[in-house]
Amino acid sequence: MKTLILGEILNGTLSSGTLEIIKKAQDESLDYQVVTIGSDDDPTIGSKSFKQTYIKRSSESLQFSKVTDLITKIVNDEGINLILGSSTYLCRDLISFISVDLNSSPVSNVIDFEINGDAVSTINSINGGESLYKSKIASNHSLLLVRPKSFEPADVELNNNFETMEVENSDVAIFDIYKEEKTGPQLEDSKVVISAGRGMVDKENLVIVEELAAKLNAAIGGTRAIVDAGWMPYSQQVGQTGKTVKPDVYIACGISGATQHQVGMKDSKFIIAINKDEEAPIFQLADLGIVGDTLSVIPKINQNL
Amino acid sequence: MNITVCAKQIPDPANETSYDNGIIVRPEEQVLDDTDRYGIEIALQLKEKFDAEVTIISMGPAGTMKGLQQALQMGADKAFYVDDDSLKGANSLMTANVLSELAKTTNADIVIFGTESTDGYSGTVPQQVSRFLNLDCISYVKAIEIGDDVSLTRQTSEGSEKVKMPQNCVISVTAGGVEPRYPNFKDIMAAKSKPIEKVELSTLNITTDQNLEFISIEALENSKNGEKIIDEGEAFQVIVDKLKELKVI
Repeated sequence: MKTLILGEILNGTLSSGTLEIIKKAQDESLDYQVVTIGSDDDPTIGSKSFKQTYIKRSSESLQFSKVTDLITKIVNDEGINLILGSSTYLCRDLISFISVDLNSSPVSNVIDFEINGDAVSTINSINGGESLYKSKIASNHSLLLVRPKSFEPADVELNNNFETMEVENSDVAIFDIYKEEKTGPQLEDSKVVISAGRGMVDKENLVIVEELAAKLNAAIGGTRAIVDAGWMPYSQQVGQTGKTVKPDVYIACGISGATQHQVGMKDSKFIIAINKDEEAPIFQLADLGIVGDTLSVIPKINQNL
Repeated sequence: MNITVCAKQIPDPANETSYDNGIIVRPEEQVLDDTDRYGIEIALQLKEKFDAEVTIISMGPAGTMKGLQQALQMGADKAFYVDDDSLKGANSLMTANVLSELAKTTNADIVIFGTESTDGYSGTVPQQVSRFLNLDCISYVKAIEIGDDVSLTRQTSEGSEKVKMPQNCVISVTAGGVEPRYPNFKDIMAAKSKPIEKVELSTLNITTDQNLEFISIEALENSKNGEKIIDEGEAFQVIVDKLKELKVI
């Protein structure tokens, strides 16, 4: 099946989400090419294993409408039936726009898919990962938004050889770009993740989580509730609308375990949960559950490490 | 200025979502999706500055219209909705098609959405509507500054970026950027006399179809039956030992 993978760039190379989709395309023996959208000057995204086209946008204006026109043209010119992107800010926008051009509704939150001849069927995780929802796509084009960490990343050698298409600026100028400072281990690839929830009571109390994270070389995450409350930037949110993590050890501090959160962490290898409420849903996922006050347990761990 | 806000009535999120043949079961009484309160708040702040009219549009089983009432109670001026059996289980593209057509009937300059509904989570409808309407889409807005100009701060994967709000555009708003207002008794009473009008689907130009066939829903066994310890002051030691066992330390 002729397939187009929407690629994204992180740290000058293909993002892990992109590499995960490439792996799936390889495993399914799909006839795929990659179209990567970014603003880097000289990214390392080309490969001998697949055709790569770089749509280079400037960071000076929002050009998504023009980027979409280019992608739709490639899809039509090359007779592509399957379009895959990671569930990121950028790909969600692009796949949505393209779906209107192709008159084919996309499937969001896909965690796996199967190809049988011309038919694509998808598996989504619903109710925070409590159930799997299977459906079959009945239109000529299939557009899938795949949740990160659904597949292992492909191991491909990347180079700087690819075709580049430039995009004109639009009327919507971007005038202030802020890059969140990223220090310490990053959520997506850290072996240990410590997440905080409402049970931390106050933003000030996050220092004890930070102390523990420093001792364990862990990344710090948070629930939607505390991110909405402004305790942490959105980039640290773990859950349905945030990041998906699969660390070796996940420590949930004062997190009740709303389905929104569970979907982002339930596949962690070992889950430790600390929560006052014995009935909190997080304990169903936990390999080790401590019914107690996070604010008293964590400082004692810190003192004893 | 005409501002149109899409608002969705959803089953009370406090209850478990149930499905019938792959479609969410919707009770008579549904509530306003909290996600939409952020969009309504932004619309109301714009209205206070620019003397705009704020119209709510909605699609789905109307039922008791509690959710629409809640949107009007916050301060929106009127509401239009489409409720048609043929839209049951509509995919995101059809939903966007219907909402785009509804937005046209309101002569909207600005169309505002929450980023994704709490019950469906597809997160694609605002962008699809912008493409149908051929408008710029300012997605994932997490902050707004209203002066003579309006600047919108977008969330991106690396941080954020600001743009000046175009005169005509679609905006999707993330939670947390603004503090949605709570209606007082007077607002609640005033909402009762605000117009809520049903729009017949047959009057709209629908060009999309269902393309997703439901196969099955399978419940997963998530429960791990892990060890559970009541902390009596010494539970920290169990965690420390476990971290050593797992070679984290």
